[in-house]
This record gives sequence, structure tokens and C-alpha cells, in this order.
Amino acid sequence: MTFKKKRASSTAGIPTSSLADIVFMLLLFFMVTTTLREVDVLVKFKLPEAKAIEKIENKRLVSYVWVGTDGRIQVNDSLTKLEEVQKIMYAKRTALPNIIISLRIDKGSDMGIVTDIQQELRKASCLRINYSAMIKI
Amino acid sequence: MVQIKKKKRPDPEIPTSSMADISFLLLLFFLVSTVIDVDTGIGMTLPEYIPADQQTTVPISKERLAALLINENGDVLLNNEVIAIPQISKTLKPRIESKIELPANKKLIISVKTDRKTNYNLYIQALDQVKLAYFEVREEYALRRYGKRTIDLNEKSEELKDIREKIPIIISIAEPEKIKS
Repeated sequence: MTFKKKRASSTAGIPTSSLADIVFMLLLFFMVTTTLREVDVLVKFKLPEAKAIEKIENKRLVSYVWVGTDGRIQVNDSLTKLEEVQKIMYAKRTALPNIIISLRIDKGSDMGIVTDIQQELRKASCLRINYSAMIKI
Repeated sequence: MVQIKKKKRPDPEIPTSSMADISFLLLLFFLVSTVIDVDTGIGMTLPEYIPADQQTTVPISKERLAALLINENGDVLLNNEVIAIPQISKTLKPRIESKIELPANKKLIISVKTDRKTNYNLYIQALDQVKLAYFEVREEYALRRYGKRTIDLNEKSEELKDIREKIPIIISIAEPEKIKS
């Protein structure tokens, strides 16, 4: 005896009309959270690792200083000399009083250049700094 | 007269079936281009710049001071004793803990001093250890006193204010020396 297979009478279908809405929602989320990178980093650097790490909550306050493996310093969009750091940072600080300077310094650097930059920052009275580091697991 | 029959046009419609595809493409673009890079690092506050001729020295008792010296060979000296970097936090913890209940002008000051030739990575490792010691003390104090972990406390809460007051992180970056001996 053969059994007739029972089939559901209604045709199965996933409603796709709301798909576009869902996708748009996702799209909006990513559009809002995206911060397109404004600066090109011209120096090569590898950050040190640390355990006791804090996050910088307010990204608007952050300004970066890069120091590469070869000891070149980059502020903003271009490489700068050490003597010019103070001037640039002073201008930045007057525009944004509670600025945080994030120091992205290559881990192979000497402390000499770090102290030099710190002295320049102190002269420009940018006192809040952050040694950028990766999380050590 | 023959009436010209109007041709019946189909209802105008925008095809929406491809909309999802288009928005998927856009979505993909933003997904790929998004860099969610969180800035992490060790926060510090530099001392104010005072020209050398205006500097005054304030005597600090030996009891308050923990001097951390890192030389160019990577040797670390804590209170004139050679120490390995991973040991720093363990050594500092009891000293920080003993000063929890003391008034603000008696808290521990950690002075970090490096050579010009010291490796930056070593400096960060040492600083990390110091911070770690403080964080652990804070964590234990929060658990003991409030039964909560520090990350569970509200940023503006009284508890966190109290913890920060009781266990302030005072790290002094020593003035660099002009002449290298």
C-alpha cells in the first residue's frame, strides 16, 4: 500500500517586505558609528602592551602624537620637528582646554624622545596624556 | 463620432525588490570601512612646567616616597633595591594599602625616573605594574567596603569618589636631568 504524502496546503514563504527596513536600520547604525579616518599615519610604529589599561571615553578630546620606529614625530597630518610640537599643541589646547594627548609611541623608542615630547607638552600646558598601549592578554 | 478609447495604462510602480540588494551593498561598504578602534592606554597627568630657576624643592619624607628608577640596561631599582619588573606591583601593594586611612598629604608618591637611553617599552611595563598595584588595591578596597567591584560602580557615585580619595594614584615623573653622568 502506498501512502500519499501529506503536504501543507499553504505555500511556505518568508515575508521579505520588511527585509529592506531591517537592513536600513543596520545601515544607519553603521553610518552613525563610522568615523572615517581623517589622518594618514606616516610613521611606522608598534604599540607596547600593558595590563592596567583605561579607555578614553571621549574621543573628541583626543589628539594624537605619533613617534615611529625611526624616531620621526607626527602631529596632525604631517611630520614635525620636536621644536614645533609646543606651538601646535598650544594652539590645540587653546581651542580645546581639556585636551588629552594620546602618545602613540613605538615600543622600541628611547625614553629620550619621550621625555623631550613630554617637556614640550608641559611647556604648552597640555598636561593630560595617555600612553597608548595594547591590551596584554 | 468615434470616441477614442483611452488606452489603459498599468499602475505606475517603483520596483522595490532590488532595494534590499542596494541597501545591502551600502551596508557592506560601511561594515568594511568602519574602524571601531578603541583608544586604550595608560593615562597620566604631567606636572606643570616651571622654569628651572623658579623651581622650589619640597621635602618629602622617605615614608611617603617610592622611587622607581629604570636604567638603560633595563635594570629596575625600587627604593635602592634591584627588582624584576613583574615584582613591582606585589612590592608596592602593601605600601599603598597601609596608607588607605591616612590623610591626603601622607599618601604614597611614586616617582618614576628613567634614563634617556631607557627603552620605552620597559618604561610602560614598569608604569603598568604601578598602575596594576593601584587598581588591585582599589578593587579590594571596593569589595571590602562596598561589596561591589569598581567597574560596577557608577562613574559619579559617592563610592567611587571615596575610593579615589582614599587611594589616589600619585605618580610623579621626575624632571629629566640635563647632564648625563
